[in-house]
Amino acid sequence: MIRFEKVTKTYAGMGHPALDQVSVDVDKGEFVFLVGASGSGKSTFLRLILREYRASSGRIYVAGKEINRLAGWKVPRLRRSIGTVFQDFRLLPNKTVSENVAFALQVIGRSRSEIATLVPETLELVGLEGKGDRMPDELSGGEQQRVAIARAFVNRPMILIADEPTGNLDPTTSVGIMKLLDRINRTGTTVLMATHDAGIVDQMRKRVIELDDGRVIRDQAQGVYGFQH
Amino acid sequence: MQLRYVFSELGQGLRRNLTMHVAVVLTLFVSLTLVGLGVLLNQQADKAASYWGSQLQITVWLCKEKDDNPACTGEVTDAQKQAIEKVTKDNPEVADYHFESKEQAFEKVKELLGPDKFQGPNPAATAADMPQSLWITLKDPDQYKGITSAVVGLDGVSGIRDARQTLKPLYGSINALQWGALGTAAFLVIAALLLVANTIRLAAFARRREIGIMRLVGASTVYIALPFLLEALVTALIGVTLAAGGLGAFMYFGVHQRIEGKLNFIPWVGGSEYVVAVIAIAILGPILTLLPTLVLTRKYLKV
Ligand SMILES: Nc1ncnc2c1ncn2[C@@H]1O[C@H](COP(=O)(O)OP(=O)(O)OP(=O)(O)O)[C@@H](O)[C@H]1O
Ligand SMILES: [Mg+2]
Repeated sequence: MIRFEKVTKTYAGMGHPALDQVSVDVDKGEFVFLVGASGSGKSTFLRLILREYRASSGRIYVAGKEINRLAGWKVPRLRRSIGTVFQDFRLLPNKTVSENVAFALQVIGRSRSEIATLVPETLELVGLEGKGDRMPDELSGGEQQRVAIARAFVNRPMILIADEPTGNLDPTTSVGIMKLLDRINRTGTTVLMATHDAGIVDQMRKRVIELDDGRVIRDQAQGVYGFQH
Repeated sequence: MQLRYVFSELGQGLRRNLTMHVAVVLTLFVSLTLVGLGVLLNQQADKAASYWGSQLQITVWLCKEKDDNPACTGEVTDAQKQAIEKVTKDNPEVADYHFESKEQAFEKVKELLGPDKFQGPNPAATAADMPQSLWITLKDPDQYKGITSAVVGLDGVSGIRDARQTLKPLYGSINALQWGALGTAAFLVIAALLLVANTIRLAAFARRREIGIMRLVGASTVYIALPFLLEALVTALIGVTLAAGGLGAFMYFGVHQRIEGKLNFIPWVGGSEYVVAVIAIAILGPILTLLPTLVLTRKYLKV
């Protein structure tokens, strides 16, 4: 599903690469944790999959397509097949929960009737039934992250990317979010999650890829967090 | 494509940046009006030139009793007039000619300056003070050197007046006004471009969250840029409409009601020239707002 072949990414004006000759292969339906110290390149890894940047060298395949060579106008199509969740939720404060989720479908031109069925369905999936008319600031952090996950998943993407989705949440709330991501993963969606949360990684026992200074130093099935800050 | 979002964004965008949009519209209004005026003046110059060019007359003043020209030896004689007429008639540049008597000249002067000055015991001039003249109509307004040089040295000729010398100041002022209008418009066009650019920057900033999410979920670039382009188009259309109205008012109250009646020795621009001017600004206006929008949305909304 996702394949990195000797991918190097050096940001403009930086002498040192943020990712250095990274080769990784992620199958469809896998759940992968990306761990590593701050600045090790986790977010860079995820952003390359979204084609927010192009790799400096090497090849990146997403669903069989080499995305480095993708024409600019085809990038939106790639992103429609990838859901994304961030630490800071990124909800639109002046829209209700339902509108926030519907927004992701509206702007890619899905029909009204599709939106009318997909949005409530997805809100129920993430455990927010009955809260569709709330505004984001009337929700707890955990609930806001569920809205963000609903928005990322409402188009039923093949891949879900989560960059420290529990970074702003307390441990109990985080567990709820992880259960949700696990459920989404079990629908067949490939999940990639960057995290600093040792407890969660150790508990889930999923594949762990550890980055250090832009290099893969560990790639372990059913791994643990495995290093101290 | 679902355009509900685009149109609600358009309304919101216009309201959110109202002051900027008003500034853009006003600048467009003034600059487009000036451009329209420039186009009208250009056509006016063409119109006047074609009219005067086709009827261009050269006037040959003949000697009178006490002529200012020392070459004259008193009133032109019939023999001299016949010689002058023969040269004129034989010249290939001449289409037509006629003589004007002292009385006819006197009538013209009276008409131009008003009859009052020429009545009573001390008139400003009498018919006797006027020169006789020969009015030559050229075949080609640009071909006049042959006839003027042939006539100028003849006995009984005091001087030659080329009508173009009289019309030069008129053409000159039309030309000056035209370039003045277009030059001022050029500065305002730059101001309009900068204002549009600034408006887009503000709008992109105000909508950065939405834009970020749209890019993330895979909205197409066109879709993201559409509200900006529509905003640009709406402000352009308002600016063009105002400018067309301004030019229309100028044509009616200025040209039609004031100038046309008083200065009727040249033909004035009318409806068809107005249409040409409006078409010009209707093309220019949207270009002025859409061009910077396209360039900047590419920059700010890059995926
Ligand atoms: N847009 C950018 N321009 C220049 N350098 C960048 C940019 N983004 C990241 N970097 C650099 O690339 C390196 C890797 O950054 P990255 O954000 O991928 O790390 P990370 O593992 O996600 O860190 P964290 O755990 O703090 O989120 C860092 O040295 C960072 O300073
Ligand atoms: Mg990061």
